[in-house]
Amino acid sequence: MGLRDEWVQRIARKRGEKMGLSTAGHSELLLAVREKPQDFVDDPAEEAFGLMVSALERYESSRGDDDLLDDDEFLETRAQRMRRMRADCNEALALDPSCAQARLCLCIAADTHPDATLDLLFDVERGCEASLGPLTPDAAHDAWDDVFVRPRLRVKAAIARSCLESARYRMASAVSSELLGLSPADELGARHSCALALSRLEDEEGFDALDARVSRRGDSWAALGRVILLFKLGRLAAARRALRGFDRLCEGGVYALLRPVLIDTYMPDRPLFAPYSFEEATLAVHEADPIIVDVPDLPAWVESQQDMLARAKAFADRSGFDW
Amino acid sequence: MAFDPNREDYQRLGLRFARSLDGEGPIAAARAFSGFGRRFTQERDGLPQTDADRAFHLVALATELIDYRLPFANEDTGDKIIGRAHALLDEALQLDPGCPDARRMKRAADIPSFEGYYDYLRQGADEVRAQCEGQLLKEGPRSSVERGGLLSELALRPYLRWLAALASKAIVCGHNREALRAGERLLELDGEDSADVRFTMAIAHAKLEDEQGLEELARRCSQMDCVRQRGGEDAWLLLSRCALAHKRRDMDEARRIVRRLCESYPHAALTLLAQRELPDGVFARLAMPPFSEDELILAVSECTVLLQEGRDVSGHGAFGAWVRKEASLLVPEEDRAESLEILAQGPGGDADEQGGRH
Repeated sequence: MGLRDEWVQRIARKRGEKMGLSTAGHSELLLAVREKPQDFVDDPAEEAFGLMVSALERYESSRGDDDLLDDDEFLETRAQRMRRMRADCNEALALDPSCAQARLCLCIAADTHPDATLDLLFDVERGCEASLGPLTPDAAHDAWDDVFVRPRLRVKAAIARSCLESARYRMASAVSSELLGLSPADELGARHSCALALSRLEDEEGFDALDARVSRRGDSWAALGRVILLFKLGRLAAARRALRGFDRLCEGGVYALLRPVLIDTYMPDRPLFAPYSFEEATLAVHEADPIIVDVPDLPAWVESQQDMLARAKAFADRSGFDW
Repeated sequence: MAFDPNREDYQRLGLRFARSLDGEGPIAAARAFSGFGRRFTQERDGLPQTDADRAFHLVALATELIDYRLPFANEDTGDKIIGRAHALLDEALQLDPGCPDARRMKRAADIPSFEGYYDYLRQGADEVRAQCEGQLLKEGPRSSVERGGLLSELALRPYLRWLAALASKAIVCGHNREALRAGERLLELDGEDSADVRFTMAIAHAKLEDEQGLEELARRCSQMDCVRQRGGEDAWLLLSRCALAHKRRDMDEARRIVRRLCESYPHAALTLLAQRELPDGVFARLAMPPFSEDELILAVSECTVLLQEGRDVSGHGAFGAWVRKEASLLVPEEDRAESLEILAQGPGGDADEQGGRH
C-alpha cells in the first residue's frame, strides 16, 4: 500500500501541475488516479516507478512460504527472487535510467558483501546528486513530504544501514544524522541506525543528544542501544535498569535478544511494525547483531539478571516458540 | 619489548645478590658478583632469595610452558603441559599467596567467561597496586639510589602486567573506553611503556573510530624513550590506522598502509592473508623481536577485533576480507605456494564459519 500510494501521489502531482489544479481539484484527481493509476501514466519515469511498485509487491508476496523451506531450498528460492528483482530493476531502468528506486533495489538485489553494496549505493547517491543537485535541509519543509525525493532518502537510509553492516560506525551515525536533518519526521528510521552506531562507539553524549533530537520518541532500537551502551561503559546498575526498561517496553524483547533469528535483507526499506512489538524488537536485535557479537558476554549477562531468563521463557511459552 | 619472565627472574635475584654484598669492599663485591651468572644457572637455590622470588621463578617456568610451548603442542601433550604449569603456579601460590602474576594466571584458566575474567582484573587492580607499592616501601629504604630505580621497576611490574591484561581483556569484552583508561593508568606509571600497552590502546582508538585520539597516542609514543623507536611504526599502529582508513572508505590510504606493512615485516602478505587468531599470552604479550614475522602474527591476532567486525558472508569480517584481498595481491613469488594453501582454508582454519550469533 505504502509504495503504491506514493506512486499515485507522484502521478497526481505531475498531472495536477500540468493542469494547474486547485487544492479541491487535486483531491479529486488523487481519488481518480488511485482508482486506476496506470490510466494516468504518461511518462517513462512513472512507468518505471510503477514497474518497481509491482516488482516490490511481487517480491514481498513471494516470501510468504520461506518459513516452510529447509536451508538449501530457502537459499535457492532467495537467489531466484534476487534474480527476478534484478531483472525487474533493469526493465524499469530501461524506461527511466535515472529511476532512483530501481537503482536502489538493484544495489540490494546484487546481494554482495557489505563493502561492495556500500560502493554501489554511494554510486547511486552520487548519480542523483549529479543530475538533481545535493539535498539540503530546509527548516520549513520535511524532505519526505516531496514524494519525488523519497527514493533518494531511501538510498541514504540504505547507506546508513550498510555502514553498520560493514563496521563503519562513525559514517553510519553521520549519514543517519544527515538524513534526520533532511527529514525530521524520519519515516525511514534513520534514528535507529544512528542509535545503534552511537552505542557501539560508546558515545553516551551523542546517544543522549540523539534521544533529545528525536524528542525522546523511544523505540526498540533506542531501548536496546541503551542497554548495549551502558553495559559497554561498565555502568552495570544503569545497564540493569535499561534492560528492565527494554523488557518492559518491548514485547518479547529479551527473548528476541537471547534467541536471535536470521532476518533477510531489507528490500529496500526496513519493514514497519507496531512500536515496541515483538516484530520490531526482532528487527532491532537483528540490526544490532554485529554489535552484540562484539560484546560477547552481553547475552550471558542479560540471562543472569533477575527474572530475565524466566520472562523470556514465559514469552516463548505464551507465543508457542521453541526455547 | 614486552616482559621476559626469565630476564626478570634474573634481575630479581641479581638485585638481591648485589644487596647482600652491601658492606663488603668494592673489590670483594665485584669478585663475588662475577660468579653470579654461573650460580644463577647452576645453583639457583643457594642464592639469597625470598619466597616471593622463589614464587616468581616458578611463574617464569609456568609462563614458558603456557605461553611459549602450549600453542605448538598437540592435544595430548597440551593437557600434560597445562597440568605441569598449573602445578607450578599452585606451588608459587603456596610460597607467596599474594603473588599477583600467579593469581592472575591461575584465574585466567579458572574463570570461564571473558567478562568474568575482565571483572576479576578490574576489581583486583587497586589491591595489586597497593600490594606492589607496599613491597617497594618494605624494601626501598635499604636501597641505594642507583638500585632504587630497578627495585621500584621490579616491584611495580606485576601491577603493570595486571593493567596491561585488563586493557587487553577490556577490548575483547567490548569495553573500549575502559581499555583506554587502563592504558592511561599504565602509561602514567611507566613512561617508557615496557608493557607496550600503546599497542592495545591503538586498537581501542580504532574501535572507537577516534582518529584524533589515535594520532595523539602515536605522537606521544614517538617521543617515548624506548628501544623500538628506531624501527619506525609498529604493526598495531599501522593496522589501527588501516582499519580507520577502511572505515572512512579512504581505500588508497588503506592500501598504502597494507603495502607499508609488507615492507616492514617479513612474509607479511602471508600473515595478513592467514589472519590467525592465537591465544593471548597469559603472563604477558609474548616477547617477539620487533619487526619480526612473529610480531606481525601477534599484532594481526590481537587486531581480530578490528578485522572480523561487520557482516561478511565469508566469515572474515568486512575489514578482514578486504585485507585478505589486498594481501593476496602482494604475495611475493617465493610465498606463492603457501598463500594458495591459506586461501583454500576458511577463517581460523574452519571452512565455512560465519559471523553473527545464529
